[in-house]
Amino acid sequence: MEPRQNAAVTRRAVVLAVVGALLGFTVAPPAAPAADDLTIALVAPLSGRWARQGQLKKMGAEMAIEEINAQGGVKALGGAKMVLREADAGDSVEKAVSAAQRVLTREKVSAGIGSWLSSFTLGVTEVAEREQVPWLTLSYADSITERGFKYTFQTSPVAGAQAVKALDLLLDLARRNKTQIRKAAIVGDNTAASVFFFKPLREKLLQEKGIELVVDEIWTPPLADATPVVQKVRSTQPDIIFFSATALPDSIQVLQKTKEFGLRIPIMGNGVWLLMPETVKALGKDLVEGVMSTVAAHPLKGQEALVKKFKDRTGEPFMVQDALMTYAHVWIVKEAAERAKSRDPKAIRDAIATLDVSAGPAASTLVPGRIRYDERGRRLDATPIIVQWQGGEPFTVAPAEFATRKPSWPSGK
Amino acid sequence: MGGIYAVMSIGLALIFGVMRVVNFAQGDFMMLGMYLTYYLAVAYRLDPLLGALVVVPPFFVLGVLVHRALLVRVTGGGDPQRQMDAQLILTLGLSLIITNATTMVLSPMPRQIRTGYATEAFGLGPLLVNQARAYAFVMAVLLAVVVFVFLTRTDLGKALRAAADEPEAAGYQGIDVRAMHGLAFGIGVALVAAAGGLLATYHPIEPTVGVNFIVLMFVAVVLGGLGSIPGAFVGGLVIGLVQAVTLLVLPLQLQNAGVFIAFLAVLYLRPQGLFGRRLRTV
Amino acid sequence: MAGGPRGRAAGLLPIALVLGAGLLLTFTLQERYHHRILTLVLVWATMGLSWNIISGYAGQTSFGHQAFFGIGAYVTVLLILHAGLTPWIGMLVSAAVAVVAAALIGFPTFRLSGIYFALATLAYPLILRIAMDFLGYQEVAIPMAREQPALYMQFRDPRANDLLCLGVFGATLLLSRAIERARLGYWLRALRENEAAAEAMGVDTFRCKMAAYMLSAAPAAIAGAVYAHVVLYVVTPDSVFGTLAIVQTLVVCLVGGIGSLWGPVIGAALMLPVSEMLDTWVGDRFPGIQGVMYGAALVAIILVAPEGLYWRLRGLRRGARPAAPPVAVVAGPGPAPAVSRAPDGGGEPLLEARGVSKAFIGLQALDDVSFAVRAGEILGIIGPNGAGKTTLFNVLNGFLPPDRGEVRYRGERISELRPSAVCRRGIGRTFQVVRSFPRLTVLENAMVGGFVRDAEPAAAGARALAALERTGLAARAGALPGSLTTLELRLMELARCLATDPRLVLLDEPLAGLSAEGVEAMIAHIRRLPAAGVTVVIIEHTMHALVRLADRLLVLDHGRRVADGLPAEVTQRPEVIEAYLGTRWLRRAEHHRP
Repeated sequence: MEPRQNAAVTRRAVVLAVVGALLGFTVAPPAAPAADDLTIALVAPLSGRWARQGQLKKMGAEMAIEEINAQGGVKALGGAKMVLREADAGDSVEKAVSAAQRVLTREKVSAGIGSWLSSFTLGVTEVAEREQVPWLTLSYADSITERGFKYTFQTSPVAGAQAVKALDLLLDLARRNKTQIRKAAIVGDNTAASVFFFKPLREKLLQEKGIELVVDEIWTPPLADATPVVQKVRSTQPDIIFFSATALPDSIQVLQKTKEFGLRIPIMGNGVWLLMPETVKALGKDLVEGVMSTVAAHPLKGQEALVKKFKDRTGEPFMVQDALMTYAHVWIVKEAAERAKSRDPKAIRDAIATLDVSAGPAASTLVPGRIRYDERGRRLDATPIIVQWQGGEPFTVAPAEFATRKPSWPSGK
Repeated sequence: MGGIYAVMSIGLALIFGVMRVVNFAQGDFMMLGMYLTYYLAVAYRLDPLLGALVVVPPFFVLGVLVHRALLVRVTGGGDPQRQMDAQLILTLGLSLIITNATTMVLSPMPRQIRTGYATEAFGLGPLLVNQARAYAFVMAVLLAVVVFVFLTRTDLGKALRAAADEPEAAGYQGIDVRAMHGLAFGIGVALVAAAGGLLATYHPIEPTVGVNFIVLMFVAVVLGGLGSIPGAFVGGLVIGLVQAVTLLVLPLQLQNAGVFIAFLAVLYLRPQGLFGRRLRTV
Repeated sequence: MAGGPRGRAAGLLPIALVLGAGLLLTFTLQERYHHRILTLVLVWATMGLSWNIISGYAGQTSFGHQAFFGIGAYVTVLLILHAGLTPWIGMLVSAAVAVVAAALIGFPTFRLSGIYFALATLAYPLILRIAMDFLGYQEVAIPMAREQPALYMQFRDPRANDLLCLGVFGATLLLSRAIERARLGYWLRALRENEAAAEAMGVDTFRCKMAAYMLSAAPAAIAGAVYAHVVLYVVTPDSVFGTLAIVQTLVVCLVGGIGSLWGPVIGAALMLPVSEMLDTWVGDRFPGIQGVMYGAALVAIILVAPEGLYWRLRGLRRGARPAAPPVAVVAGPGPAPAVSRAPDGGGEPLLEARGVSKAFIGLQALDDVSFAVRAGEILGIIGPNGAGKTTLFNVLNGFLPPDRGEVRYRGERISELRPSAVCRRGIGRTFQVVRSFPRLTVLENAMVGGFVRDAEPAAAGARALAALERTGLAARAGALPGSLTTLELRLMELARCLATDPRLVLLDEPLAGLSAEGVEAMIAHIRRLPAAGVTVVIIEHTMHALVRLADRLLVLDHGRRVADGLPAEVTQRPEVIEAYLGTRWLRRAEHHRP
């Protein structure tokens, strides 16, 4: 290399690099909200392969904010309006954390919600912890509240608890339908959400209930071909299939195969993937009929008005977990702000930590109708809900006191 | 599965063989092919097996246009290595544009064409063979045969192969090498779109479906020997086969790890691929 | 230049400037988000630089470099989790693991070349990713260490993150610069430009590639470890082994320009702020559009600068002002010119081929060829096209193993050696079609040869310059091969070959394509070689030139030795005329014979 020439070129390069870097730092912050507003950040994937979930979250949060503002805002803060600031978490942890950093440091945010995939949430809550802004999430992973964070609140039942309660509810359902569950199959992918759901089942729960695990088929998404999986299920004829896959195409393939092979085995899924409007659109009413899934939230008995309002606003055919959860989260922040009488995120965090609400839109959206968090930030008594497809729409079927429909037990072959 | 991998891979092999372009957007063209087939099926009740054929002409045109508008600008002249790098980034950028635009316009949620035969199976003794897969496989083989005949029996196909093997000599013989590149790119894109259409008979469609297949396509092309059309075909079949066989020895989770390990094994044993010609070093 | 205190310091100035700019930003930026952009730029620039070592300098495009990135992240975080080891040490452990992994991957994979290598590397991170999922490491959160945040790389102050990244980035810059200026750097560039020529000039291309691969794995692992701690906070297989990681690396390097120290730096400093800017300006309001715009930006940049911004800028400069010849500061002891070497002992032949045969599919290229080369002679090998002359050279210098027979050099069997080993023993060669290293200057071309005897760039440079002086090319030392005439190219190749300090040179049609004056000049240069202690074996098919040049002729036809002896004698033999000119000429020759 010729140093003199090189130095000249590199000088240019340095200039260019510095200019490029500076460009990045000249990003002007968006128009600041009025000083007396209460800002909530929503970090969720609004683009990329999980964008649909992010959009649903946004719809739910926007609806809650509209309701609150229409009722006169946060009364303890002199009727302060609530404002939603969304940031796109994209499709990678890097982008999600960047989005959180962006929204939390460039604006006066009092609380944050969202972020979908548990890996995103793990990264995003780390930022929130450092910035000392309370964060409410629906992610299931146990690990989120196992790190001793003070600013993270997990409203959903953690995956470990979901498996326990889901199994109880399921056995209860089976009893009512006078069938017994002796053999079970575990079928799903090895993404975090599924792993957390399956692990307790596989390691102790099934054994405790005297259920034999006859099939344990796990794949790395994407699933090339569902045939071998479903063939195994077919040859062992379990009484129930525990199913969890984060990629909807994989679920579609498996469900199609079960029909192709003429299987009539109850399917107990996990997560909202199986309950999306697109699921029924892709598979048809018949294929999804009777399929169940456990989720953290689903419209409960008594929420019909809310659901109707949501459908009218958005044109969605029904309301699912993501929209409900952000709806509830915004209301929880509102309740906390009323008690904290402050916009300060630290004060709101303390208010959320000591919150005990059993009335109002926040409480009535979640089972068991009362909102309290323990010292780890987990919601006390958080109970999963079992939802079942009936006539092309998913309905809450358990716990019974919140159910909107009676469960139907697919008759075994 | 193997049959469709095979057709996809032929498309990529053609593009690589003739133009030496590593086309990262190939998976996205496949995705677009799936969507077009889907909309044909929804709007005109066109069977996806036929839809897969209908998508061929528009995607051929699209491929030629992309080549004309973008690729030629970084093809030709200069250092082949740098040219390849530039084209790689170009197709990468293209892939980003297509995926994101599709997600925005068509939503990221998967769709599925519902055909009567997608959930029906032929009973072959104790085995059940999915009808959609069976039809798709037959169509895939037919397509591959058509391409093969085109390349070996027609003047245009021969000119194309000449442009691939000996671009300079082909130039002297009055073959317009640049036009041949455009032709190859067009056919390559059309083929992968057709493969997408066939895949759509039983595979859900989403904007990011391409990335799941692009790696397998590359593996198939390399496995068969870069640029070799029959090689790519066999490579595609081999991948389908290895995926199936892997399940007998490895857990389902490691299915694709099995494919990659087989891929590496083949490369170590036959660095030029199954059907590749060994390049003289000196 | 390649020596002297000035040369040694010169490259450091821009590095100091860049690091200074980094420091300035570290201490002037206010927002945490801006600090995050800075750390992202630095981490990806580091990753780009690491990729650039193997794929830029050595030209071995790798699509699987994120394997080391991911190893860095996973090993460091798992060590914290399971052994409580601080990431400061864990990071170094992970670098060591990555280097070992590079050796394990490289050893079989460098059997492949070009695009085959590139696509084969694709498989490794994919396998690792599947393995991590299989082992249950879907999401590994870094445990928070409240008591000793600094010990566990969990800084509250974003400036500490910046400094950490800046340190790693600076170290990688210095490593890259050191490689660039060392023998390895010259060899890597040489093998990228022309692998066969490099091998023939004594470069053990396999070992060089392995060295580069292992050297590039370490910074990638460190970058991965730092990325996990300051950017992600949680490690997932997708985020470190996934395609996004390699795509980001490729974008940074290819936009900036590969094969130079500054390409990845420019690429990272430009593309990451652009990406974040798009996210901020449009992404949060019209989600998805930022991806489209980013893709469009990539396409636009590549259309404007297909070779990357660094080379584009450099090209503009070059166009504006012709390249100044480099300051040829020859420092250190000059090489002892190879003039006064005692001729090799007596009757023992310098090089000997015994019964060498080589067949290609359907073609017997060499059939039982035996001959000996005596020290100090000029042996001409003639034969019609396809007689097996070049194949013979390829066997002699190790490009091809003989099917049967052996080659002995000064009594040692060399037919199983790599060409580079043959070269190091003192056999140089040139090629029928000149194989230059086009992006290296004439002097650097010759230096590649010079490094066989001297590891120090200064000494190798001096040796190379001496070789250029011997061939009368010293004035063109700073030019690029592309600007040379055919004669100059041939002379450059000869000089490069002489810079390896050979006892024997194999010249493959050195007169081809030269004008009449060129032929005379070349012949004059070749004639001087034996006096300088260099024995010459030369291939030609133009008989009359060889007759004047060679002491002895060996005639090949259809892979067989047809005749050998003194030129005047050999050319009269009927079998030679028949082989060379065909039977018709034989009749005519007989007719004319007195």
